[in-house]
Amino acid sequence: MSGFSRRSRARAQLALLLGPVSLFLAIFLAGPLIIMLIYSFLAPGLYGGVEWEFYPHNFGRILGFADPEFEIFDPVYIAIFLRSLRIALTTVLITLLVCYPAAFQISRLSDRWKSFALFLITLPFFASLIVRLFIWILILKKTGFINVALSELGLIDTPLELIYTEGAVVLGMVYIFIPFMFLPVYASVEKLDWTLVRASQDLGANGFQTFRRVILPLTLPGVIAGSIIVFIPALGNFVVPAVLGGAKSLMLGNLIEQQFLAARNWPFGAALAMLVMTIVLALLFIYIRYEARRGDDAPVIR
Amino acid sequence: MRFARRIGTTGLIVYTLLFFAFIYLPIALIVVYSFNADPVNMMRWSGFTIDWYRQIFGFRNAASEAALYIESTDQLIAAVRTSLIVAASTTVIATVLGTATALAVYRFNFFGKRFYRVLLFVPMLMPDIVLGIALLIFFVGVGISLGIGTIIIGQCTFLISYVFIVVSARLAGMDRSLENASADLGANEWTTFRRIILPQVMPGVVGGALLAFIISMDDLVITYFISGTSTQTLPIFIFGMLRRGIKPEVNAIATVMLLFSFTIAAAGLYLRRRNR
Amino acid sequence: MAESMVRLQRACKAFPLPEGGTVTALDAIDLEVARNEFLTLLGPSGCGKTTLLHAISGFVELDDGRIFVDGEDVSDRPPHRRPVNTVFQNYALFPHMTVGQNVGYALDIARTPRTERSGRVGAALEMVGLAGLENRLPRQLSGGQQQRVALARAIIARPKLLLLDEPLSALDRKLRQSMQIELKTLQAELGISFIFVTHDQEEALTMSNRVAVLDGGSIQQIDTPRAVYNNPANAFVASFVGASNLFQGMLQSGRVMTAQGDVISTDAAAAGSARVTALLRPEQFTIANGGGNGAAAKLDIGIRQIVFTGAGYEVHGRTMNGHDVVAAIAAAQQAQVASAEISRKATLLYDPAAVHIIAGGGDRS
Repeated sequence: MSGFSRRSRARAQLALLLGPVSLFLAIFLAGPLIIMLIYSFLAPGLYGGVEWEFYPHNFGRILGFADPEFEIFDPVYIAIFLRSLRIALTTVLITLLVCYPAAFQISRLSDRWKSFALFLITLPFFASLIVRLFIWILILKKTGFINVALSELGLIDTPLELIYTEGAVVLGMVYIFIPFMFLPVYASVEKLDWTLVRASQDLGANGFQTFRRVILPLTLPGVIAGSIIVFIPALGNFVVPAVLGGAKSLMLGNLIEQQFLAARNWPFGAALAMLVMTIVLALLFIYIRYEARRGDDAPVIR
Repeated sequence: MRFARRIGTTGLIVYTLLFFAFIYLPIALIVVYSFNADPVNMMRWSGFTIDWYRQIFGFRNAASEAALYIESTDQLIAAVRTSLIVAASTTVIATVLGTATALAVYRFNFFGKRFYRVLLFVPMLMPDIVLGIALLIFFVGVGISLGIGTIIIGQCTFLISYVFIVVSARLAGMDRSLENASADLGANEWTTFRRIILPQVMPGVVGGALLAFIISMDDLVITYFISGTSTQTLPIFIFGMLRRGIKPEVNAIATVMLLFSFTIAAAGLYLRRRNR
Repeated sequence: MAESMVRLQRACKAFPLPEGGTVTALDAIDLEVARNEFLTLLGPSGCGKTTLLHAISGFVELDDGRIFVDGEDVSDRPPHRRPVNTVFQNYALFPHMTVGQNVGYALDIARTPRTERSGRVGAALEMVGLAGLENRLPRQLSGGQQQRVALARAIIARPKLLLLDEPLSALDRKLRQSMQIELKTLQAELGISFIFVTHDQEEALTMSNRVAVLDGGSIQQIDTPRAVYNNPANAFVASFVGASNLFQGMLQSGRVMTAQGDVISTDAAAAGSARVTALLRPEQFTIANGGGNGAAAKLDIGIRQIVFTGAGYEVHGRTMNGHDVVAAIAAAQQAQVASAEISRKATLLYDPAAVHIIAGGGDRS
């Protein structure tokens, strides 16, 4: 067997392995994304169609240069955009505060308990998302668990406004994104070398100083990875606000859904989606740069 | 000082217990209240019943007739069937394609290898809604009518990534010198693949398939956009129910679903541990 | 000598560097290994020894040159069609197979009948002292046991040549030493050629019929362990094999003078003057009684550190001209060592006839 035929056989194997998947992703992943990009620059037509002409005002409606012929700039979209950012960031912050201390406690358990704890944390990830959100409807709604319990205890007369608020949306997101945050954070807490902590204490640092100057920097990669993994799906989320949010907690995801299924302004919806994707890609780009500079070969992505 | 430290340690333990309570108490709550007899307010306890379970499995009964909304059990069963068909198809397709990609990236050095690695992370990291509407525009634009076929194709675009990542992780943990050892002992490429690589990568493939199945069964957002008006998967069926208003048997449906996915996940995680 | 077992002709291999350019791993290497010979490839990491081994086993394709095993040109054959087996550095035991399945793998591939297979697996395991462990999994074994399984797996197909890629490096010192003896015994029993790769010079000297010292992709010296130690071909070999004191300088009328002003006496003569390196092994020194003024072959040193080694003392010092010197002093000279420790200086004596002179200024090439 000559070197040449070995090489050409390898090439044939490679084509066999990669061919189908390349074709599939080219048609059904790259294709749709490119078409969506094109759509975002087309003018909306009557009855949900599109006009094939260059039309930058889809982005203009969001960013402040609306189509002068039809409308004046309405800041409602930028308000929704900012609210989405705020809700996503709050979610990241709270999941982090929830997961970080727990990760420390769990990393100190014996191996058996440790793997049991990890099992318990991963398990909900596999359970139906919609069911897990539904639980919170039952807990938060006007005739829900909390209001019923409080009124039967005689603590309240009129039910509290718990559901259909921004708080309910954040709570729902925190609940479903906990495993996303916990696993990367735990991975870096687990790797933490406790002799370094002892060394820091030995060198005279108190608990807070040790945390700020040794523990936090060493676990930062997990914190950043977890934050990104939570932020991305939170920003474009539409299920949680649809189920737990009200009109006042509308997020980008709901706006996009409305454009497609109610308003039937597809180009505008596509433009909104492009905006979300741009933010996500920018964030990932920054993250990859950060990881590369840190010199770790494998980014901590699930 | 020592007192302070003990408070800190105890505090951390209490905090962690609360952490788990936050995750599991709501789940426990729904399981308990799925046995609540009250037909009007599901969260006001008024006695024990298994009627809701009888209801979802197709037995008519007095309590459910009295309930505010009566959804047809047929619709639920149709949704479950659709979900199973979709999940089974996507699992097979995504497992084959994802595994093939992982093997190609592992075994060969080729131009664009890094590109493939990144490409396969894209659908996983993209917000669901973006992929969902991109696929919707595409299917409508190309003229493919929405239904079970588009759901299967749409879900595969991101399920391939999950399989790829799980199988790649397994392959990355594999010792490359094992292949050399096998060749050194006289095995040709095919024998080495069959006897050395395949047995070792198999747990990864099974794990990836299981993950694909679970995620497919649970996918809401992407399926929501590309399922059309006449096809409903289980999550979409429930989503619709929640949007229209909640009725008592949802508790029972939710409990059954939780039990189902917990069982599969527990089995999968157990297998993975045993194979490590 | 009959046709050699392995013959490499001008074997060349260069690897591309990620940042561009290439690194030469094998620089036109010629090598012959005789039947039943235990040859060690010794060198620092990156010297090309593992590449050479992989070229023989087939995992590295040569850019140029030929490889013959038992007279047959195997250069273009893939690894699985070469009559050569390898013991890998990390053992490369198949984790999903039992010890018996691992050891019998080559026989399965060759479709050996079942009865013969089980007999040979048993015999191979017995040979390495692991009889009865067929059904264990590799991870249930200790490092030493895994190493023996790897060995049994590699010899079961009766290869003409066994390649060993730093197989002992993962073992602790004591186990390593006993395995060295066992490998040597095994090689004699099997009657096949071994090529053993190591960066541990002690291992190389203990086990081999011949040692090939590699550096920069070429063989610096290939000879018996004794010759490599006592008559190193160049400064690299001298410094890599064993501890050494090297003095570079001009050889003129029985003296080597370094640029700093140190003087080494030698019996070697040169026509006119020549750039040389003088080699003095630590054990060639003794400490002079008193000043040692009469002796011509001496080095005055200031003491920097004295280390007790059990068999004697290691005296670390420095000449007035700043050249570091290590001397291994026998326990019999305890008194002299003690006084040197107090006075912080000593005079080292050596035999000018035993000073080994290496031609050239000590550059590697």
